[in-house]
Amino acid sequence: MQPAPNTEALDQQFKEFIQALKGAVNSAMPHLKDDPKIVDKAIDDCREILDVVMEGKVKEWLS
Amino acid sequence: MFSEKIELKDFDKQDPEYQDLLRRVLAIQADCEIGGPNLYVKDILPNAPSKLDQLIVARTAAEEMDHYRKMAKCAGDIGVDVSYVLSRPNQERYVEAFRGTIKTWEDFSVFGFLIDRVGRFQLEEFIDCSYRPLARVVEDPQVIREEEGHIDFGTNCTAECAAKGGEAKERIQRAVDYWYAKGLDMFGNSKSYRSERYIHWGLKRRPNAVARQQYKDEVDALILQMGLQLPDPNKGRLYM
Repeated sequence: MQPAPNTEALDQQFKEFIQALKGAVNSAMPHLKDDPKIVDKAIDDCREILDVVMEGKVKEWLS
Repeated sequence: MFSEKIELKDFDKQDPEYQDLLRRVLAIQADCEIGGPNLYVKDILPNAPSKLDQLIVARTAAEEMDHYRKMAKCAGDIGVDVSYVLSRPNQERYVEAFRGTIKTWEDFSVFGFLIDRVGRFQLEEFIDCSYRPLARVVEDPQVIREEEGHIDFGTNCTAECAAKGGEAKERIQRAVDYWYAKGLDMFGNSKSYRSERYIHWGLKRRPNAVARQQYKDEVDALILQMGLQLPDPNKGRLYM
């Protein structure tokens, strides 16, 4: 059985998206009460990453 | 009844019907996993009630993306490219519940309470299923824990809104009324021939009607506990 083209590359790209998102969330959680700037930055980062994912331009990601 | 356990290397040797059903269910499952974030990220991430809620929305989306990734890998390994579901408009999603947008916190909450719960029922279908790579995905304790987390968060937010009474309770009741029908429909037609074939091939465990009834029993009890009214189970339905 031949895997579909880009199976591994897409998997790797998603791992990177997910790691970046979780990293941003985890960096902000301990600072919810003491450092709003860190939290705001993390939320902005999450929004930026998710905008890219929701656009779904797979060919651009993998090129 | 098919009782073998199939690994990826044996997929090619399986009956064409088995192959078709597996390809189909993986594409639908991948579509549903990424369909959730596509419903709520745009409007709910920037407008959630608190920064903590915003972070939870982002984390929920990340976890659903990871579930998509795992399903997409499973599908890709048997030659099915499901990357097309990443760019399709919501209106073209396989499952009707994912075809709109979520614009309010109440809808986001009830989506977790009712629709993510259907997601858990769907994933449970594949536990110990005949295709081992798929079974391993859903038997992964991390996947189960994450899905439970989404459901619990949605259930707690729904209960909080209901407990406030007044307009907040009315708004959450409207959201429950809307998503209740979508949730029941997600189990498909009770007389589905395909559903029987999934069971025959060991890819699913329960007939649609049985899973739907178990789900209904579970959510009805919770809705009543929250002091909300049970929606009419026949209203707004597409599949019975």
